[in-house]
Amino acid sequence: MENALTSALGTAVQPVTAEEFDSIVRRHQRRVHRFLLTLLHDPDEADNLTQECFLRAYQNLRNFRGESSLETWLLRIAANLARDHARNRKVSFWKRLLGMDGADDDGAAQHVPSGQASPERILLAREDVRAVWNAANQLPQQQRAVFLLRFVEEMELSEIAAALDLQVGSVKTHLFRALQSVRSKLGDVR
Amino acid sequence: MSSEQNPHEPLVERVLVGFDLTAEHHVAHCAPCQTERQKLEEALQQFGAANREYASRSEDFWDKQAAQIQQKRRESSNRARVVGALAPALAMLLFVGVFLVSQSPHVEPSAQTVPAVQTDSDHELLVAVERAVESDTPQALAPVAWMEEENDGSTSLPARSNQKESRSHEN
Repeated sequence: MENALTSALGTAVQPVTAEEFDSIVRRHQRRVHRFLLTLLHDPDEADNLTQECFLRAYQNLRNFRGESSLETWLLRIAANLARDHARNRKVSFWKRLLGMDGADDDGAAQHVPSGQASPERILLAREDVRAVWNAANQLPQQQRAVFLLRFVEEMELSEIAAALDLQVGSVKTHLFRALQSVRSKLGDVR
Repeated sequence: MSSEQNPHEPLVERVLVGFDLTAEHHVAHCAPCQTERQKLEEALQQFGAANREYASRSEDFWDKQAAQIQQKRRESSNRARVVGALAPALAMLLFVGVFLVSQSPHVEPSAQTVPAVQTDSDHELLVAVERAVESDTPQALAPVAWMEEENDGSTSLPARSNQKESRSHEN
């Protein structure tokens, strides 16, 4: 996850030029956007918050001490933005009521990679993905964030802890409970 | 895959969370748990892959997003630059203002006498108004009234006025 810019930033908190920051954006925007999209299920909001995330990062670069990787730091900003967004329930309620919510209900189920699998196997895989997707949607915010960082972003527990500002033990607890819920939902489907 | 089928279920989650050697040892030697673990891991892998695919965008999208971020960053930099440029000027203005106030000529406390004079003139005005209101004849018509009084030989008017003035502000 480390890169030249990360280590350059991490070692001495050197001032970053505009060009260097644009390069940081290009390098990390996909992951930040994906994390926000899987967390929010709203493509428009994911796009907006990705932009906001990088803007905040730019404004607070001097506070980055290199204790974690730059990407982990960016994901922490993204997680905080997503949490603040989720707290704004009144807006979400009215947006849903007025049909202005861009949330994608079917989610990732339609995007199961087909590969060489048979149609029947793809169908079963879609059912599983839909069940996990629905189960993940019902998880509390923190559990969902831990779950997605682990199984979508494939991050290590220590990285998740750094990104969400948690102890590794807390990450394990959240992940264990999330897995129990997901497995229970998956069992109901099967 | 329900709990009735496999009583060792929590161990599978513990294995997936990691760093639990006891659970690892159990699952390694328990066929039902191994099956459960494989199924769950497979579902989670598919979920992760589907989400990554779901979040994939065209290069145009990333270019556009990067350009928007760049624009916002520039606007933010410009704002910061303007604030940075204005702050010393504002500080200088404030300093000059404070300096001018401190250097202005000292005003004598004559202001304290003004209210007294004002009070006196107010009082005089009040008395004049009372006199005008209480007099039966307007000042402009006073000569006419005197002529009538001379004709009638009446003296009652000054006497009444004096009675009223005893309750007035002239005291």
